[in-house]
Amino acid sequence: MQRPSPRAAAGLAGLLALIALAGACLPPPQAEAPRRVRLPMGYIPNVQYAPFYVALEKGYFLEEGIDLEFDYAFETDGVALVGAGELPFSLASGEQVLLARAQGLPVTYVYAWWQDYPVAVAAPVESGITTPEDLVGKRIGIPVLAGASFIGYQALMRAAGIPPEAAKLEVIGFNQVEALLAGQTEAVVIYANNEPIQLEHLGMPVNVVRVADYVTLSSNGLISNEGTLQSDPELVRGMLRALKRGVDDVLADPEAAYEICKRYIEGLQDADQSVQREVLEASLEFWRSERAGWSDPQAWENMHAVLLQTGLLKAPVDLEGSYSNDFLP
Amino acid sequence: MLFHLLEKPHAASCPERAGFRASWFLVASIVSNTQDGPSIFSTSRRRPTRLAWLAPASLVAGLLLWEGLARKAGLPAFILPSPLIVGQRFLELARDGSLWRHTLVTLSEILAGLAVGVTVAFVLGYLVAKSPSLERVLAPYIVASQSIPVVAIAPLLIIWFGAGTLSKVMISALIVFFPVLVNTVVGVRSVPADLHDLMRSLRATRWQIFAKLDVPASLPVLFGGLKIGATLAVIGAVVGEFVAADQGLGFLITLKRGLYDTAGVFVAVFLLIGLAMLMYSAVSLVERRTLRWRNGPEA
Repeated sequence: MQRPSPRAAAGLAGLLALIALAGACLPPPQAEAPRRVRLPMGYIPNVQYAPFYVALEKGYFLEEGIDLEFDYAFETDGVALVGAGELPFSLASGEQVLLARAQGLPVTYVYAWWQDYPVAVAAPVESGITTPEDLVGKRIGIPVLAGASFIGYQALMRAAGIPPEAAKLEVIGFNQVEALLAGQTEAVVIYANNEPIQLEHLGMPVNVVRVADYVTLSSNGLISNEGTLQSDPELVRGMLRALKRGVDDVLADPEAAYEICKRYIEGLQDADQSVQREVLEASLEFWRSERAGWSDPQAWENMHAVLLQTGLLKAPVDLEGSYSNDFLP
Repeated sequence: MLFHLLEKPHAASCPERAGFRASWFLVASIVSNTQDGPSIFSTSRRRPTRLAWLAPASLVAGLLLWEGLARKAGLPAFILPSPLIVGQRFLELARDGSLWRHTLVTLSEILAGLAVGVTVAFVLGYLVAKSPSLERVLAPYIVASQSIPVVAIAPLLIIWFGAGTLSKVMISALIVFFPVLVNTVVGVRSVPADLHDLMRSLRATRWQIFAKLDVPASLPVLFGGLKIGATLAVIGAVVGEFVAADQGLGFLITLKRGLYDTAGVFVAVFLLIGLAMLMYSAVSLVERRTLRWRNGPEA
């Protein structure tokens, strides 16, 4: 066998080196771009969304391939968009899922972020109101005769065995703090983690009758739609993993979470810091759970029963498809 | 026509039936007004009867187009309900009486808001038209009243005036106020000065000049403002009901939105359109009757 000449060998080596160099200069295999996800939040920017701000800030969503964008739209609009398949996720309260499914919106609740229903009735301390029985015959201000406040009030009174009409409901819009301070009503339906703190700081300490102390109801959480659950379960799992890490981080270090919130909430720097810190602190107890994100079937049964009793649901809804614990991290 | 039918004694004996019938009469009166009357933008009394079929034909064509679109798109009812579904929901709400109850509440708020807004605007507008110094004093407030985003201050008005009817009336009056005031000022100032001179030469008193000259001569412009105010009054009442209410068509929309009942939302929206058209038609009717003298003696 004829040996290659030294020139030919050198040429071959040079060619191989050139090929190797060209290979090194080629761009690496294209990394998949994160998927843009717009998330309707249901309310204005607020410290109550701290887990999302923390998870976004720390890159948890990006690690799951999700480029998250907040949309501070109305809760019902978010649910409708998810039901229509326009968006994969939204934040919503449990009752919204059942009401939406009753109208044919295929939405499914996938992560019980809030483990307890936050609605409560607040009354000035000097009123002596501490139980649902004390509300009988009283004028109670309520934002609107629909939504979480109305359902929470109905559930509270029914759980205590009192007809809801035993107290007089007055629709006052989302002006509960002002209405109670002005003495327009004797009590108001509020969120236990928010208005009582504001009232306290405005010089009106209040007693709070919490719905969660009388009945367990499905509360605020993340919803998706049946299409996304079937076609893209990994997206759902990734979303829930990132959210759980955000919740865990806030629970572990609320002070650091509060600092992160300042970057996402316009005006938080100038707001009453002690009030906002307390709102966050009060929200934490609704997020603590031994099984993060787990939906309690009894909470859904209870919610379903209240909606039927109040007539907001005309016929029973299939609870099977209404919530799922299958995607939890 | 609507008010005449509501006065029938048998209607009061069965409120639910009366409500159902009245809901139909409301629609019927609007359609018939559009059908038989002159163009809604016209002040002429002549009836173009040969063109009368155009309005109902356009309405039917619009409904057919909507139905076809809803069927072709195959969208669920919570995104785009078909006219048939909306009609069905209309009948349900009309039968149980709730539609009539909510409509009456909103209508009463509209009428009260219009009455308050128009009265204040007429009085203030006349004074401003007659007194340039008063105009200078009030101008910033008047312009400010128009630039207030009512939606933003509606929650405050609810706190100040309570969550009852008064706050909705005030919001409605606030919206009505500006166009009526501007037209009052323009109308009163458009009265020719030589007519004033003539009245004074005849030794007319201030009241006589007001009643016999200023008011009749400025009426055509005043009615222009009133027509705008009448339709805006509907928006005012609904804005108030959106913020805090337990009855009224604005509340019905909120309720139905919360229940994802888009067909129910459509029913309330159409009723509001109907109310606005009714208000406009009523003012047009009064205008035609009041300004009959402008067209000269009847042939």
